[in-house]
Amino acid sequence: MAPGESQSIESATATIRPDNKTRRYDRQLRLWAATGQAALESCRILALSASATSTSILKNLVLPGIGHFTILDPTVTSGADAGNNFFLDGPNSIGKLRASEAVPLLCELNDGVEGRADTRSVQEVLEQDPSFFLSFTVIIAHNLASPVLNKLSALLWSNESAPALIVVRSSGFLSEFFIQFHEHDIIESHSESAPSLRIDSPFQSLLDDALAVDLANMDITDHGHVPFVLILVRAMHDWKKEHGGNPPKTYEEKQDFKDTLGLMKRKPDEENFDEALAQAYRAWTPTAVPSDLIKLFAALPDPLSSSAPPFSHLLLALKKFTEQHDGHLPVAGKVPDMKADTKQYVALQRLYRAQAAADAVAYRALLDPAACVPDDVVDLFLKNAHAVRRLQGAQWGTLDRDPTKLAESLDMFPKETATHLALAALAAWQTMHPQPPEPGVNEVRPSAEELSGLAARLLPADVELPEKEAGDAIGEIARAPSADLPNVAAFLGGLVAQEAIKMITKQYVPVNGYCVADLVETWTSTLAP
Amino acid sequence: MATIDTYADSGHVSVSDWDHRYYHVDQVLDRPGPRTDPDFIPGDAVKSFLRDQCKILVIGAGGLGCEILADLALSGFKDIHVIDMDTIDISNLNRQFLFRPKDVGKPKATVAAEYITRRVPGVTVTPFYGKIQDKDDDFYMQFNLVICGLDSVEARRWMNATLVNLVDPERPESLKPLIDGGTEGFKGQARVILPTITSCYECSLDMLNKQTAFPICTIANTPRLPEHCIEWASVLEWPRVHGDKKMDTDDPDHISWLYEVALKRAKEFSIEGVTWSLTQGVVKNIIPAIASTNAIIAASCCNEAFKIATSSAAYLNNYFMLIGTEGVYSYTFEHERRPNCPVCGGESVDIQVPKDWSVERLIEMLVEKQDIQIKKPSLSTPTTNIYFQAPPQLEEATRPNLERLVSDLVPEGGEVTVTATTLPFSLSLRITYV
Ligand SMILES: [Zn+2]
Repeated sequence: MAPGESQSIESATATIRPDNKTRRYDRQLRLWAATGQAALESCRILALSASATSTSILKNLVLPGIGHFTILDPTVTSGADAGNNFFLDGPNSIGKLRASEAVPLLCELNDGVEGRADTRSVQEVLEQDPSFFLSFTVIIAHNLASPVLNKLSALLWSNESAPALIVVRSSGFLSEFFIQFHEHDIIESHSESAPSLRIDSPFQSLLDDALAVDLANMDITDHGHVPFVLILVRAMHDWKKEHGGNPPKTYEEKQDFKDTLGLMKRKPDEENFDEALAQAYRAWTPTAVPSDLIKLFAALPDPLSSSAPPFSHLLLALKKFTEQHDGHLPVAGKVPDMKADTKQYVALQRLYRAQAAADAVAYRALLDPAACVPDDVVDLFLKNAHAVRRLQGAQWGTLDRDPTKLAESLDMFPKETATHLALAALAAWQTMHPQPPEPGVNEVRPSAEELSGLAARLLPADVELPEKEAGDAIGEIARAPSADLPNVAAFLGGLVAQEAIKMITKQYVPVNGYCVADLVETWTSTLAP
Repeated sequence: MATIDTYADSGHVSVSDWDHRYYHVDQVLDRPGPRTDPDFIPGDAVKSFLRDQCKILVIGAGGLGCEILADLALSGFKDIHVIDMDTIDISNLNRQFLFRPKDVGKPKATVAAEYITRRVPGVTVTPFYGKIQDKDDDFYMQFNLVICGLDSVEARRWMNATLVNLVDPERPESLKPLIDGGTEGFKGQARVILPTITSCYECSLDMLNKQTAFPICTIANTPRLPEHCIEWASVLEWPRVHGDKKMDTDDPDHISWLYEVALKRAKEFSIEGVTWSLTQGVVKNIIPAIASTNAIIAASCCNEAFKIATSSAAYLNNYFMLIGTEGVYSYTFEHERRPNCPVCGGESVDIQVPKDWSVERLIEMLVEKQDIQIKKPSLSTPTTNIYFQAPPQLEEATRPNLERLVSDLVPEGGEVTVTATTLPFSLSLRITYV
């Protein structure tokens, strides 16, 4: 299909008044558009408990309209559950199966979402039906016992196409979560950085247009509406002619360049020239391939097999394009708003679009046809080429198996790492002291000393826990080890759902590492994976 | 074993707490943590204050408000009041989780209050369907804490100023901590304001994102963006064609009209990108909103309310900012008071005014300046009424002054008092001429 055709369909549908579904989702469609919404609607989420934290996460996924969720939980609702979970029916739910009680109350939030309660245990499914897990998009594990969690994490890690696993731990005011994935590719990162306008190294038609503007003789009103891009390209061209082909380098030269811009004004209130002055640095700052992209290019396997992910093929073609085009990315074709009249602005827009179309043709010729990347994906990639991302993930628990890395992290981020260690120590303690079935009855709590001992075991023998930071975190956990506080659950409910949405829509950039949160002091921080 | 605690609530509902109801929350109320204030006394007294005595007010029953009400109820607050002047719209349902399609058109405060009261036994949520300005000081004085979950800057400024004005140094209970939350897309912030003690909402006005305003000459003569065409349709064409008939941005027929007109203009100027959704977004000034960001910010607000009410942990000092577009980035810091804050500072604001400025030009500056932003200001000196926006007779009488020079009306170093009907405070400017 020709690009023109898809455009006309797009503008045709845009004229229709929104239906009820579009109206319902209007405020989120403005963030992730119809493509993101479609991804959400076809995803399947598995939560491995109906704890307050788990149902809070699910709530924030059901509301924006995921396709399906299953809660896997064999537990019977206790009085404690009924007290801190909004998606249980208070005392009426006590004694009934927690998953079966929570599912209808969650489904009530959005009748476009399908929910299922599965009352088997994770252990049981791991042993008897492990392929069950592979039918989901994202799996969420809140406070899952370490032995089962490790088994599940290993199962999912062994298969590159297995769902992402979000491990969530919380205890009292402290919490963390981690997303296990192999690789995560993002075309629409929604980066705040804009693609280069190539003012420093204009493509031919841009240079031609800039030189064709007769600044000295043109009508005075038009003069005040020449886009700053053309002013800068023109001024830099003239500057280079007089300076042996070089742009201004020293501070003084840059000031001189700015002075020439000021002298080009014919009236003191020409705002387009003020814009040119404010943006002058773009004329001497060389357009370069962003460093993130250079790293991605270097990491590409060479040669690339046809069966490699489409994103790898798109990157490889981009790499070849930059090699053939003096280190320039394809022109994105988007022009920001600037002081100009309609005619000159629209002409500039057309200029950039024409170049983008020409670059797209050159780019497509470099793309392996055997990779069969759909046209609309290529278009989207070219629009976002300057900010595409590929995250390299890690398996859950990798950090905890690397004492040296933990010690380094502790040195650089003492309170964040101490919080992570305290939560890991609690998980280790719980493995040794399985919790009683009924919360609050015959309960044993870990002492701060026990937890410190377990945390220290993860570190090299010669590294000590920092007294203040570790004391603060471990003391807080010893105070309320099994507390799933409503506000902490709601906080994690928002954070984890948001990251799940980023993983599912492949838009925006998800956390890569351990996102640690301390709601005593109200901070969050992310430790490398 | 835990005891069953039966009590009468407001004399008409009787409910029982069940065994282990507060198993989770009680873990942080039965013991202090390493960072807990040594004055914290764990146990029954603090639980009884939270559950039987503390009275909390929630402003807004929308995106943040729904979340706040649920979080407070589960945390153990049992006497909750909520104010909201809005009714439920279908576009609220993607995040305001206490509302269902059948509730569209009903008042948010009432529906939210009924839902929470039904779902969380023993909690009473008292709704008020109306404006915060309808309530007087006595009303606000009855609460221990106030949480604001609003999207309107004006309403927050009013609430903030009202709580600052309420403080009577002789009566410590007149100081009502204000917890304020706000979100926009993946971004948000939560803050704790102790009126007259910490930085207030007005102190941080300059942190707000500046709204993009399109110059009228661009809209009229040199449109470049689809937004310019939409503004042309709504600002210039609507009044020209429809005269006095008011534009209703909630009426899809009106949006359709604007869309058609904007689209025609865009075609004329070869501008692409006018859509129905963009038209609606521009004229309603729609801010993207999602459940997850609201959940995060509401939870941090309620967590602070819980910590303040129980002293079980130190509360936020005083600003938590979250950006969720790239990973989870947050920043916790102390926002400083502004000595010349018109609400909590008391000092007058020094401003420099060019000698040739008219009163009208000064007013324009007051509307635009980031740390002032007073829409429709009225100006006076101790001896002269410079310009008053209302009542009509006074407006008419002072209108000629708009064209006069400020320097003819105010001496060097003189003070000008600025007021606005929407704000319960006045700003005092000290003028120097340049
Ligand atoms: Zn202030």
